[in-house]
Amino acid sequence: MTILLLVAPVALAHDFWIEPSTFRPSVGEMIKIGLRVGQDWNGDPVARDSTQIDKFIVRDNAGERAIAGFEGHDPAGLLRVEKAGGAIVGYRSTTKFLELPPEKFEQYLRDEGLERIIDARAKRGESKKPSREIYSRCVKSLLIAGDGPTKFDKPLRFRYEIVPVTMTAGAIDVRVLYESKPLAGALVVAMHRDDPLLRIRVRSDAKGRASFQLPKRGVWMIKSVQMIAAPASSGADWESLWASLTFEQ
Amino acid sequence: MKRALLIVLLATTASAHEIGTTQVFAVFKKDHSYAVDVYASSATIQKRLHGDPVVKHVFVAFNGIPVTPHAVVTADGIHVTGEIPPHAEVFTWRYDLSYSAYMLTLENESHGVTRQWLDGDARSAPFPLTRDVIPPTRLAVIRQYLTLGFTHIVPKGLDHILFVVGLFLLTTRIKPLLAQVTAFTLAHSITLGLTMYGLVSLSPRIVEPAIALSIAYIAIENLMTTELKPWRVAVVFAFGLLHGMGFAGVLRELGLPRREFITALVSFNAGVEGGQLFVIGVAAILFANKWRARIVAPASILIAATGLFWTVQRLIT
Repeated sequence: MTILLLVAPVALAHDFWIEPSTFRPSVGEMIKIGLRVGQDWNGDPVARDSTQIDKFIVRDNAGERAIAGFEGHDPAGLLRVEKAGGAIVGYRSTTKFLELPPEKFEQYLRDEGLERIIDARAKRGESKKPSREIYSRCVKSLLIAGDGPTKFDKPLRFRYEIVPVTMTAGAIDVRVLYESKPLAGALVVAMHRDDPLLRIRVRSDAKGRASFQLPKRGVWMIKSVQMIAAPASSGADWESLWASLTFEQ
Repeated sequence: MKRALLIVLLATTASAHEIGTTQVFAVFKKDHSYAVDVYASSATIQKRLHGDPVVKHVFVAFNGIPVTPHAVVTADGIHVTGEIPPHAEVFTWRYDLSYSAYMLTLENESHGVTRQWLDGDARSAPFPLTRDVIPPTRLAVIRQYLTLGFTHIVPKGLDHILFVVGLFLLTTRIKPLLAQVTAFTLAHSITLGLTMYGLVSLSPRIVEPAIALSIAYIAIENLMTTELKPWRVAVVFAFGLLHGMGFAGVLRELGLPRREFITALVSFNAGVEGGQLFVIGVAAILFANKWRARIVAPASILIAATGLFWTVQRLIT
């Protein structure tokens, strides 16, 4: 089921994504890998902070390697795609703790399609309690360098991950994996960079797949938030995992 | 003065948001103005404003009471300025155009720096302003500058005391005394005001020896005549102009609060007047008529000698 929403909700929790200087680099070209936090494709640059990086890697036809960069600087990474074809850039953050007043937390849960957590809180009698949450980022970007084999459907094995499966003109199919297994019923949202209020909202099917017909060319972000009970040792009640995939059609 | 340098650097892990590249600097100046500079992409800021004036997204409060600053979007971010209200003791800051954590650097001019990490649109912790940057009330300014003006004559201004005593030694008759004191007061008020507004300017290297010379002149003339010659008032007026410039030099060193400039200027001048009247009052008691005849000559010689000595001394140094 696809729903087009023309009015964006007021986002209470911020999206996170990778914004490379180009999605179509030449082989051997040095490109900037920017990290962004914000909403509606309007982000603040996030400087490279080694205490926040769990993994910052690229996988292209030359293999998988870490992305270098200058600590404390934006762009967070600098990358040279070494072989033609598809390249997946991945950034996995460490966790942060966040506390929100109950009304803000529940609004954010509705925005991100996590109504089941609202129900779970109600059942536990916690609806009026502030949230105690840990969150982390699992973001990716798909680059296509020159002409070459564009195979990019191998997961990076992030804890939560949007994996591009096929991309054709005007369409993209993705799989949503949680702990490397397909996740059904997840809300997956596509947003165009130049028209971020146009959103395509899809729920993943039993095999974790979500298919998008993209009405515009240009740069897109597909995002999804997974929430589970937090480990008891974390001091939080809930843990959220924020996945996104940026690419150019 | 003890300078306290306080640097509080919170661990980066204290922020619940990712750390962005935005930086915010707030400076509180001794002239009771403040400036907050947000360094961030102006294109991003414009996008988030959606056409709103930027001042609607900037929240400045003193003692918890919001004020409306002047705020503009510049090429480097946002520039916020304003005046610190009287009695302000703490400052708080918030702006809602950041989606990431940023460092807020707060500086009390010449009193050190404090830093805070702020999460996105979170409110800062209250920042205490030092006594130097807390602006006094108008009443406090009046009291302060009246006192400064008075003490600049009594006890600090021996040269001005001698000049006033010199005026008095000519005659104790009320009319000529009043004419001289009025001319002197009018003249020094004019140059004090004009100099403080920067409309006239004369080097202290000229003004200070000239003031000393004026003291000698008055005393020497006292030895020559006991009558108020027509030119005496004009000469006293001219010397008054010089003394006014001297007062301005002192007042400039003391500094005038920008927001209470006229109040302070008028109060200082009134304080100077008070000091002069006090000197005249004391002189009236000391030089009562029966002793006056015996005192005029030696006192005038002493004053003239002192004036000439100062003239030479001030010319040399």
